[in-house]
Amino acid sequence: MPAVVRLENLEVGFRSTLLSIEKLEISSGEILAITGPSGIGKTSLLRTISGLLRPISGLVQVDGVRSPERPRRGTIGYIPQKLGLVRHSSVWANVMLGSRAARSSSDSKERAINSIIAMGLEEKKYESVKRLSGGQQRRVAIARTLAQRPKLILADEFLSELDEKTSMKVTKAVTNYVSASGAAMILVEHDIARAKEISDRLLIIDDGRLNPFITDTSILEV
Amino acid sequence: MAGMDREFKELLISVTIVIIGFWTIVQLTSGLIWDWNGWKALEPQSYPPCEVNNFLQFTCSTAWIGMIETIKIAILATFFGMLLSLPLGLLSSRNLFPNYITYPSRAIVSACRSLPSLIWAIVFVIIVGLGPTAGVLAMSIYTVGYLGKMQYESIEGMNSDPLEAANAMGLTKAEISLWVVIPEAANHLIAQMIFMFEYNVRSGTVIGIVGAGGIGYYINLYLKFLEYERVAAYLVIIFLVVLIIDMVSIYLRSFFVDDSEKTKPSWSGLILPPKETVGPPRSNNPRQF
Repeated sequence: MPAVVRLENLEVGFRSTLLSIEKLEISSGEILAITGPSGIGKTSLLRTISGLLRPISGLVQVDGVRSPERPRRGTIGYIPQKLGLVRHSSVWANVMLGSRAARSSSDSKERAINSIIAMGLEEKKYESVKRLSGGQQRRVAIARTLAQRPKLILADEFLSELDEKTSMKVTKAVTNYVSASGAAMILVEHDIARAKEISDRLLIIDDGRLNPFITDTSILEV
Repeated sequence: MAGMDREFKELLISVTIVIIGFWTIVQLTSGLIWDWNGWKALEPQSYPPCEVNNFLQFTCSTAWIGMIETIKIAILATFFGMLLSLPLGLLSSRNLFPNYITYPSRAIVSACRSLPSLIWAIVFVIIVGLGPTAGVLAMSIYTVGYLGKMQYESIEGMNSDPLEAANAMGLTKAEISLWVVIPEAANHLIAQMIFMFEYNVRSGTVIGIVGAGGIGYYINLYLKFLEYERVAAYLVIIFLVVLIIDMVSIYLRSFFVDDSEKTKPSWSGLILPPKETVGPPRSNNPRQF
């Protein structure tokens, strides 16, 4: 499987280094979960991979494109912790935003509709996002990313605020997409049991370093 | 019941103040605005002859003609100003564009704002001649400067999360502006535009003094004929019109604030304080909170 993301000798942070990664590769079709204490640099790592934050040093390569060059339009689908929705727009407008950002411009409406249905938001399609509950807003953000058909999904605690049933439904939709499209996914998750369940690999960040010993969910004892 | 009493008392005080104020103004302007025979300041001009029916005779008065022209100038200036200021406001926002774009754009916005609309009016009267065209141009330029600044400040103050998500997706700056920034900042942009219209009506009354159209032209004319009572009467009319526009503007703007759904805007809210829906009931005892 080709690597969608390649990180080498990466130093992540603003002015001082928060997190160091010697080498990390995420292959096509793989889901990688990252966990660790708050403030250790998990979100900064996602922002660095997405190109929003410049690395202090090291290599970030996404879909064959090296930082600081940006990968092709629509390659990265980012679900930030605070969702990044256009609050005054409708669910449809938000999901269409993802659909328009896709690498292929064909069938953008169809992709948006399918994503809305997959997230169970058909009845809220024309509702303003600000009127939705926290969980519904989260599903809109996920629908936006699915409509985008990205090669890499970066999700920051994307299942929080969701009840168990919805969480399972959403997880299924996202994992199905990853396996069917051959995309890769990096998710930051505090709930280790949940992260273990969803991901193919779980990384624990400890003292500003990716723990090299606990990288396989099969050997992880929580 | 106690709440009703308080509301009624406040309404009564407001109405009394308005009546006393109006009566004082009527006395000060020697009956030129209004006497027991009607609205004197709205009497039609002797020439050209007024051919509308008696009920609409006031539309032939210079006060009416001047005020309507001022409002028309303000509408056009706000429209053209908004058309030009929105792209400049977006280009001036540092959270959207790099410094080599924002600096020149901000310089244009600042240049438009550096001169007051009255000076712009003098410039355009020299360029295009006397009349409302000069007024529209002058106020459009000033609107670009003033509105552009308000716009880029509110865009820079908007939540960065939608911008980051859109940037990560790889959307272009134009797409981000169109689909993220404008919808997200729409409430502010509309409220600022309404405020600018209100501002333009106020400043539009002044630019007529230098020959750029509107009611200011007539004020200047009567000043030259030493008809100070009539000038005072026209100033009062301006005050009343601006007051009404101000109130309508506050009412309209109240629809475009984020909590407008929680507290529905109302006309009474312009005069009376909002009803207390939460918190403990008011106490007459100042020691008791």
